[in-house]
Amino acid sequence: MAVRLALRLPRFTGAGVVMLLTAATLLLLVGLPLLYVLLQAIFPGWSRGELSGAFGLFIPLLSDPALLGLLGNTLRLGIAVVVICALLAIPLGALRALTRVPGGAAWDLIFLIPFMIPPYIAALSWMMTLQPQGYAQQLTGVSASGFLFSFSGIVFVMVLNVFPVVYFAVSRTMMSVGGRYAAAARVSGAGGWRAFWRITLPLSTPGIAASLLLVFALTIEEFGTPATLGAQAGYKVLVTGIHERFADWPIDIPGAAVLSLLLVILAMAAFYLQHWLVTRRSFVSQTGKPAMAEQVTLGAWKWPVVGLFSLVALAAVAVPILAVLATASTATLSGGLAWDNLSTRHFEALLANRSGALKALGTSLALASGAALVTGVLGALVGYLVVRARLRGKGVLDVLSLLPNTMPGIVVAVGLILAWNQSWWPIQIYNTGAMLLLAYACLLLPYPVRYASAAFRQMGESLEAAARVCGAGFFTTFRRILLPALAPSLIVSMLLVFAIASRELVASLMVAPAGMSTVSTFVFGQFEQGSPGVGMAMSVVAIFTTTGLLVGLTAVSRKKLPIAG
Amino acid sequence: MPIVKPLVLGACLVALPGLASANALTVYSAGPGALIEHLAADFSEETGIEVNVFQSTTGQVMARLESEQANPLADVVISASWDSAESLHEEGLLHEYLSPNAETVPDFLKTDHYVAQGVSALALVWNRNSDVPQPADWSDLTDAAYRDQVTMPDPAQSGAAFELVTGLLTAMGDEETWSLMEALADNGMLVPGPNARALNPVLQGAKSVVFGAVDYIALGQQAEGEAIEVIFPASGTVIAPRPMMILASTDMPSEAEQFVDFVLSEQGQARVAERYLMPSRTDIEALRPTIEELTLIEVDSEAMSAQREAILDRFREATGS
Repeated sequence: MAVRLALRLPRFTGAGVVMLLTAATLLLLVGLPLLYVLLQAIFPGWSRGELSGAFGLFIPLLSDPALLGLLGNTLRLGIAVVVICALLAIPLGALRALTRVPGGAAWDLIFLIPFMIPPYIAALSWMMTLQPQGYAQQLTGVSASGFLFSFSGIVFVMVLNVFPVVYFAVSRTMMSVGGRYAAAARVSGAGGWRAFWRITLPLSTPGIAASLLLVFALTIEEFGTPATLGAQAGYKVLVTGIHERFADWPIDIPGAAVLSLLLVILAMAAFYLQHWLVTRRSFVSQTGKPAMAEQVTLGAWKWPVVGLFSLVALAAVAVPILAVLATASTATLSGGLAWDNLSTRHFEALLANRSGALKALGTSLALASGAALVTGVLGALVGYLVVRARLRGKGVLDVLSLLPNTMPGIVVAVGLILAWNQSWWPIQIYNTGAMLLLAYACLLLPYPVRYASAAFRQMGESLEAAARVCGAGFFTTFRRILLPALAPSLIVSMLLVFAIASRELVASLMVAPAGMSTVSTFVFGQFEQGSPGVGMAMSVVAIFTTTGLLVGLTAVSRKKLPIAG
Repeated sequence: MPIVKPLVLGACLVALPGLASANALTVYSAGPGALIEHLAADFSEETGIEVNVFQSTTGQVMARLESEQANPLADVVISASWDSAESLHEEGLLHEYLSPNAETVPDFLKTDHYVAQGVSALALVWNRNSDVPQPADWSDLTDAAYRDQVTMPDPAQSGAAFELVTGLLTAMGDEETWSLMEALADNGMLVPGPNARALNPVLQGAKSVVFGAVDYIALGQQAEGEAIEVIFPASGTVIAPRPMMILASTDMPSEAEQFVDFVLSEQGQARVAERYLMPSRTDIEALRPTIEELTLIEVDSEAMSAQREAILDRFREATGS
C-alpha cells in the first residue's frame, strides 16, 4: 500500500510529503470556505442547516435585468483600470529598471506607500480634497466634483491605489531579464529600443500579465472606492451589490453568495486569458548565472522622467496623505484649513482612548506579519507545485490559490464563519484571532503564489537538475537553490501581503472576535460614529508605522530595499 | 530576517486572549462604540463578569448573527433598528426577560423579549457656514435655494432613515410623501449611503443640509465645535429606539439578564445620556430634547415593516438612487 502510494508521488519522497501537506493546507485554507459559500449559494437555507429549495435562487437572480447592469459596470471598471494601469505603470517600471532614474530605490519606497493607504481612506481623502468647499477649493479655489464623482473619477482613484502592483512586477522582471538578454541583443547589433521591444518586453510578459491579472481581480473585488465615490456617481458594481445584500436588513446571504459566484466566473475568465498568454511560449530567462543589470543613462531626458515620477508620486501619495493629515489635525471639519482650527485633539483622543487604539495597531501588525509568513511559505510551495510538479490535479491547485483574489472579502469571511463556527471541530478557532489570520492568509495567498510561479516559470530547470546531480535532496535544493533565486519576488509579495493585511477592512469587520479590533475596524468605527478626525488620526499613525517598519526592516538587514530586486 | 520572529510571537500572544475568554459574556452592539465600551467596563467593574464586545453597524451585527446561526455566540445584542428585534423575535431566537429596572421605560419601548437601551430621533442638520438659509421643516428643502445642497441617508442602509420614511407616510399619506421625495430628488438631493456618509459632506460644506440625520451623532459633533445646527421639524419627526435583547441560545442567561439590568440602571442610563441619546427611562435626565419635548409621528412599525420591500422600491424609484 505504502509502495503504491509512493509511486504516485513525485520523484522525491520528501518532496511528495511536502506537496501533500501543501495541497491539504490549501484545501483547508481556501477550499473549505469556498465550498461553504458554494453550498450556501445552492441551498438558500444552508446557514440554518436546511437543504430545501436547492438552486431556487439562481433563476430569479440571474434573470434580473439590474444584474446585467452590475455585471457590465464591473467589467467596464476592471478593464479601464487595467488599461490605465498598464499605460501608467509599465513605462514607469521599465524606466526604473532599465535607466538611471535619479532617486533610484527611493521611488520604490514611495510607490509602496499607496498600499499602506486603505482604499476607502484614499477615496475619502480625494473626496475631501476635490468636493465643493474641499481642501483644493479652500487652498486654490478649484473643485472638481464633476470629475471625481464620475466613472473617470472612480478609475482615477483606483488606478492610483493599485498601479504599484504593476510597477513592481515590471521593474523587478525587467531587472532580471533586461541585463543579460538585452546585452546579448545589443552585441548582435540591435539598437537600444529594438532590444527593448524585441527582447526585454516580450520576456517580461509573464510578470506583467500576472500583475495585470492581479489588478483586474483587485479592481472587481474592491469595495471601498466604488462604495465611497460610486454612490454619488450613480455607478454600482457587483461588489457593492453583494455588500448591499449583507448590509440591508433583512440580510440576504444566499443572494450574495450567488452574486459572488458571478464574480468568480469573471475572474476565472481573466485567469484563463493570462494563462493562455503565459504558457504559449517558454520564458526561461534565469539561469542562475550572475548578471549585472546595465542601466541606461537618461541624459537630456533626466528631468522629464523625474517630473513624471514626481507627478505620479504627488497624486498617489502626497495628496491622499496630506488630506488625511489635514483632517486629523484640524479641530473641526466645518472650520476648514485655518490656523486657529489646528488642533491635536484627535491624536489626544487616540492616546486617551480606552478602546485601545494602540492595541488595535499591535493586533494588526502582528496579524499582518503572521499572514505574510504563512502566505510566503505556502505561496513558494504552491508556486513550485504548480509550475514544476508532475502531479495530477495541479491545475485545480493553481485555480484554488487564485480564487480568493476574486472573492470579495466579505464572502470569504462568511465562508470562514460558516465553515469554522461548527461545534464539531475538535479545536474551536472561531471567535479567536486565528480567524483573522485565516481570513488574511486566504485572501492574500494569491500574491505570493502569482509572484512565485512567475519566478519559477522564468527559472531554468537546469538549476535543479544540476543540484540533483550534485546529490542534493528536495529540501536542500529548495533551500539552497530555489529559495535564493525566488527570494526577491517572494519578499516583494510578502511585503504586499503585510501592507494589505495590516489594513484589510471588510473581512476584518466580519470575523474579528468580540473584544478584538484591528486598525481598519477601529478607523471604520470612528467614521461610522461620526468622528472622522479620530479615524484619520488613527490612519496617520497606521500608515506611518507600517511604512516605518518596512524602512526599518530594510535598514536592519543592511541591504538595499528588497523591492529594488 | 530576525526581526520577524518577535512579530510572530506577538501574533500568537494576540491570538491567545481570544482562546482564554470562553467564560465571558459576549455582547454584539451597534454604535456608538464609546457607549458600549463604557457600559461593558462599568459592568465588569461592578460584577466581576468579563464582557467581550463586538461593535459595528446594525447591518454588520445582523449579518454576523445570521452567519452564526448554526452555532450562535452572542449572549446580548443591541441593535439600532427596532425592526431587527421584531424579526429575531418572530424567528423565536430571543430569550424572554423583562428587567425590573425597565419600570420607568414607557410601554412602547419595551416588550417581554426586548427593551430599548436608548432612543435617537431623526432631524435636519444644517451647516451654519453655508450660504443657504436655516430650514425649519422637511418640505422646505424642495425650495430652489437648496438646489444640490441636500443629502439623505439611504433608508435601505440606515434603519433610522427607513423609520423617517414610514413616519412621513403615516403623517402625510402616500401621495404627498412620494411627491415630496420626487421634488427633493429633482432638487438634486443626494442619497450617498448610511448615516455618516450623508453627514460628512455637510460638515465640510460640500453640501449644506442632511434630510433625516440620526440626531445623537450630530449633537455630539456640535458639542465638539462643528458649525452645525440640529433642527427638529415642527411638523413632527420619528424616533428610532435601540432594542437590547438576549438570545435564546445563550448559555449564560443570568449574567446576560444582569447586563440588561445594568444598562437600565441609573448608572447605565447616565452613560446612554452622555452620548446625546435619550435614555429609555423617563426618570433619567437627558442632555438633549426628549420624547416629551419633540413632536412625534406615531408609526405602526409592524405594518410598515411588512411593506418594507415595497417602500424601499418606491423610494428608489422616486429618488432614482
